[in-house]
Amino acid sequence: MTQFGFGAVTLEHENTGRPDSDTVDATLAASGDASAFERLYRHHVPRIYSLVRRMVNDDDAEEITQDVFVRAWQKLGTFRGEAAFGTWLHRLAVNVILARRETLGTRRKRFLEGDAVLEFLPARKAGPELAMDFESAMERLPDGAREIFVLHDVEGYRHEEIAEMLGLATGTSKSQLHRARLALRRHLER
Amino acid sequence: MSDPWMERLSDYLEDDMPAAERLALEAHLETCRDCSVVVSDLRRVMNRARQMDERQPHRDLWPGIAKRIGATSAGAQPIRRRWSFSSPQLAAAAVLLMTFSGSTVWLMRSAGSLPADGPIAATAPPPATVTAVNVRRNAAENYAAAVEDLERVLSAGRGQLDTTTVRVIEQNLAVIDQAIAQAQRALLADPANLYLNTHLAETMRRKLDLLRQAATLVPVS
Repeated sequence: MTQFGFGAVTLEHENTGRPDSDTVDATLAASGDASAFERLYRHHVPRIYSLVRRMVNDDDAEEITQDVFVRAWQKLGTFRGEAAFGTWLHRLAVNVILARRETLGTRRKRFLEGDAVLEFLPARKAGPELAMDFESAMERLPDGAREIFVLHDVEGYRHEEIAEMLGLATGTSKSQLHRARLALRRHLER
Repeated sequence: MSDPWMERLSDYLEDDMPAAERLALEAHLETCRDCSVVVSDLRRVMNRARQMDERQPHRDLWPGIAKRIGATSAGAQPIRRRWSFSSPQLAAAAVLLMTFSGSTVWLMRSAGSLPADGPIAATAPPPATVTAVNVRRNAAENYAAAVEDLERVLSAGRGQLDTTTVRVIEQNLAVIDQAIAQAQRALLADPANLYLNTHLAETMRRKLDLLRQAATLVPVS
C-alpha cells in the first residue's frame, strides 16, 4: 500500500495499491500546488463545463465553470480520496450550480405542467443540425425540468438523490422527468 | 394524452413499477399503438441523453481561475496558502528548477558539450548552459539547507510534541525518503525520464511540505 502523507491528510488506495494521478494531483493541489490543480482543471473541464451549460443558460456557463474550480480549490482539503476525484468534483459542481441558480433568480417557469409540455417546445428542425437541435430543445425546457432531465438522464443521478439536491419530493422528480422526455421526443431524428 | 398509461411509461422504462402493473402495461402496449410509439421515443430520448458529447469552453478559463486562486501564472510556482516560511518556499521553487535543469544537463551530455563526470568549470563569461548547471547546483544546495534547517527545528522541538504526532511524522517521512531513494536509483539508469524527474521533484517537495507543516507544530520558545 502506498501512502502519501501530508500531515493529517493520508491517502490510501487499497484497490490498486497506488493513488491514481488525479488523487496525487489533488493532494499536491491541496498543499498549494497550482500546477497540479491546473492539470486537474485540464482533465475535468470538458465534463464540468458540459454539465454547467446544460444546467444553466449558455451565457453564464463559463463564469459558473470558473466558480466551480475556484470552489474546488477552496474545498480541496475536504477531499480524502474515498471516491474518485471526478465524482467529488462533479457533486461539488452540482452544488455550485444549484446555489448559483438561486442568485440568477427565476427567470422562467420552473416546471412543466399538464399538457403544456406539448406546446412548450416548437417543432424540431430537419437537417444536419439536428443534434444541436436536441440540445437546444433541452435548453428551452423550464429550469426545474431541465435540471432533473440533465441530472437523471445525462448525468445518471437517481431520483432520490435529485430530490434531495433540489429539495423536491421524489414523485415530482419522476413526473417532471417524464414530461421533459415527452417534450424532447419531438426533437429526435426520425 | 388522455390514456392513463401514458403517465406511467417512464416508470415502465426505469423498471420502477410493481410486477403486476408491469404485466398489465405490457399487455396494453400490444394493442395501443400510441403508447408503443411513445415508449419507443422515450427510450430513444434516454439513449440520446447518454450519448451527449462533452464540450470545451469557448475560451481557456484557466487564466481567470489562476488569478482568482492567487496563482501568478499557469504551471508556475506552488502557492503557499497556509504557511509563510520563506526558505522552504524558495527551496520548493528550486526543486522545480532542478527538474528543468536536470533535463538540460542530460541534453548537454547527450550532445557531447559536457563531460559525463567531473567538475564543471564556470569561468567568466559563463555560457547559458553552464548557468543552468549552476542553478541546479544552487537549487540542490538550497533544498538540502532547507531540509536541514527544518529537521533541526523538529529535532529541537521533538520533546514538546505529542508522541503520536511524532510517530506519524516519522512514518510519513520514512515513506517519502524511501520514494526519493527509489526515484534517484531509477534516474541513475534513465536520467532523461521526464516522469521520474517530475516524480522526484514532487516527492522532494512533498518532504519539504511535510517538514514545514511539522515545524509549525513546534511551539515557539
